[in-house]
Amino acid sequence: MRFDVNERSVVRFIGLSLVLAMAPVLVTAQGAGTQLASGPAVASAPAAQPAPPKPPQGEAIRWEKTVPVIESGKWAGKRLADGQPDVEGNWANTIANQNNWIDPQAGEPGGRPPKSARNERAPSRVSDPADGQVPFQPWASTIQQDYFANFRNPVKPEYIEPFARCAPGGVPKSFTWHGYEIRQYPGYVLFLFNSGTRIVHLDGKPHLPESIKLWNADSRGHWEGNTLVVDVTNNNAKARLGRSGEFASDKVHIVERYIFDNDGKRYNYVATITDPTVYTRPWTATIPARRYGLEQGDEADGWHYEGEIANRPGKPPFDEYYERICVENNGGFGQVATSQAK
Amino acid sequence: MLKLHSSARATLARRPWLLIWAASVFVVALLVTAHADAASAIPRLKSGRPDFSGIWQTTSAADFDLEPHSARKDAPPGAGVVEGDQIPYLPAALEQKKRNFAARTSTDPRLKCWTLGTPRGIYYPEPFQIFQRDRDLTLVFQFGHSVRTINTNGTLHPEVTDNEFWLGDSRGKWEGDTLVVDVKDFNDETWLDRAGNFHSEALHVVERWKFLDANTIEYAATLEDPKVFSRPWNISVILHRHREKNFQLIEDYCYTLDYDQYYPVPGKEGTR
Repeated sequence: MRFDVNERSVVRFIGLSLVLAMAPVLVTAQGAGTQLASGPAVASAPAAQPAPPKPPQGEAIRWEKTVPVIESGKWAGKRLADGQPDVEGNWANTIANQNNWIDPQAGEPGGRPPKSARNERAPSRVSDPADGQVPFQPWASTIQQDYFANFRNPVKPEYIEPFARCAPGGVPKSFTWHGYEIRQYPGYVLFLFNSGTRIVHLDGKPHLPESIKLWNADSRGHWEGNTLVVDVTNNNAKARLGRSGEFASDKVHIVERYIFDNDGKRYNYVATITDPTVYTRPWTATIPARRYGLEQGDEADGWHYEGEIANRPGKPPFDEYYERICVENNGGFGQVATSQAK
Repeated sequence: MLKLHSSARATLARRPWLLIWAASVFVVALLVTAHADAASAIPRLKSGRPDFSGIWQTTSAADFDLEPHSARKDAPPGAGVVEGDQIPYLPAALEQKKRNFAARTSTDPRLKCWTLGTPRGIYYPEPFQIFQRDRDLTLVFQFGHSVRTINTNGTLHPEVTDNEFWLGDSRGKWEGDTLVVDVKDFNDETWLDRAGNFHSEALHVVERWKFLDANTIEYAATLEDPKVFSRPWNISVILHRHREKNFQLIEDYCYTLDYDQYYPVPGKEGTR
C-alpha cells in the first residue's frame, strides 16, 4: 500500500542513472574544501539575525591532533531533576569528519595525499588494537578495500555510501559528522543528528526482537557516574563507519561508553565493537568531542555549531536549532523526484 | 427501577445475606468510581504544567481524508474531522484539490516518504513520541523519525519571514492547562491527507493540545491560508496513549527503502 510500484521503479532507474553520471562532479566539488560540500546538505534557511562572520573556508573543521584523557569515575557536575548528569546541549567531534576512519585527518579516499607525516596527524579512531587497524577477517578486508578504492569513481550503486543519500549515519559514524544535540528526559537520552535521530532508553525495557534491524540500531543505556553506558543491538549494518568503507554485519554488538569530563565541556566516545562474523577480535573506537554554544564563546560555523539566535527581544542571546531535515530526504532518490506543477 | 421477579423475591426471603452482599457491591462500586476520578488526574511536570510525555496515536481515519467520505479502495470510511464537514477552498484551489485527488495514488508526498508536515504528522496512522521539558516539547515521529520542536520558552517566530520549513516553526504558550501552539514558516510541499487536501507556504496553523484524561489528548487545529482557503477552518482529533507493555517507536526511515537493495549485509559467503 505504501508505494506505487511503477512509480518507484521509474524513480529508482532515473535516479540511479543521474547519481552515477553526477558522482565524479560531486566528488570534485567536495574536494574544493567548502564547508558544507562534504556530505548531504541540511536545509538551511536564512539566519534570523546578522550571521556571525564565517571562519575562512577550510578552517571550519577543527583539527585537534590528540585525544584528551578522560577517566571514568564520579560525576561532580550539574544534574537534572531526575538525577542524570546534565549533558544537554550542542556537541561535535574535535578530530575530523567521516572521510577516513583510521587516519581521520588524511582526507577522503582517493583524494590528494596529505603532506604531513602520519605521526603529525590525529591518531586512528581505532584505539584498540594498538596498531590502529580494524581487525578485519581477510574476506572483509577485501570488501572494505574495494569500497575504499571505488569511492571517487562509484561505478556500482553500492560504492555510493548510503549516508550520501541521507540515510542515517548509524552507530558510530553519526558522531563524526556535523554537530549534534543531546536532550535528556527521565528515562531517555535523545541524540538529534543532522541525518537521523537516536533514542537511548534508560527505562530498562528489553531490546527489540532480534529480527528487527535498524539504521540507528536499538539502544539501552544507564549512567555509571560520569559515564553513559549504552548497549546497542539490532543494527542493520548498512551504514558504514567512514567514507573509507569500514563496516560491520547485522550481528554486531556495540557497547558505548560516553565518558564526560566533570567540567561539562568535553567527552570521549569509547565503543567496544564485537562481531565474530567480520572481525578477528573485539575492537575499540574512540571519538573525542567537545561542547559548543554561546556560553562557550562559540560562533556558528556551519559545521560543528549551526545554532540560530532565538528571537526574544530585550533578553540576552540564546541559541536554538531549526529543523534538521536532510534535503535529499525529501528529494527522492538521486534528487530527481520533483514536486508537481503548482 | 428494578422490579424483582417473584422468584427472586422468594430467593431473597430464603437468603437475606444476599441483600448485604448487594449493598457491599454498591459501596465498593462507589469507591472504585471515586478512585477512578483521582486516577484520571493528568500528569504534570514539576512546574505544574501538563506533561504530554508519552507515545501517542489517533485511531481516526483523518489521514485518509479529512472530509467525510464513504469507503473506497484506498480508504476506510470516515465521518471527517473538519468542523462543518467541508474545507472552504477558494475556487482555483478546489480545482487543484480535485486534480490532487484524481492523482492521489501516485503524487501523495507520503508515498515518497517526504516529511509529513504539520498537522498531518499528528494524525498520520503511525505513533509519535513527545519528550517534554519546561523550555520545549520534542515530537519524534516514527514515520521518517523526523523531529519537531515546539518552543515553550517565550521565544517568538524568527524575524525573517522567508523561512520555509517542512514542519513549520512552532512557538507554544499555555492557556491554563491547554497548550496553544502557533505554527508558520511552512514550505508548500506537504499535503494534509491522502485525499489531496493541500496548502501553500502561507499556511498558518494554531494548535490546541488538551488532556481529556491522563491517557487521552484532544488535539484541535485552526488552519488558515489566504492563498488556498476562503476562511480559517478547524479540525479536531483524539490522540490515545500507547500503553502496550514495552511499547516503543521503531525507526521508519522509509525513504531508504528505495535503495535498500544496494546495501545487502556483507558476509563471508558473499552478500545476503
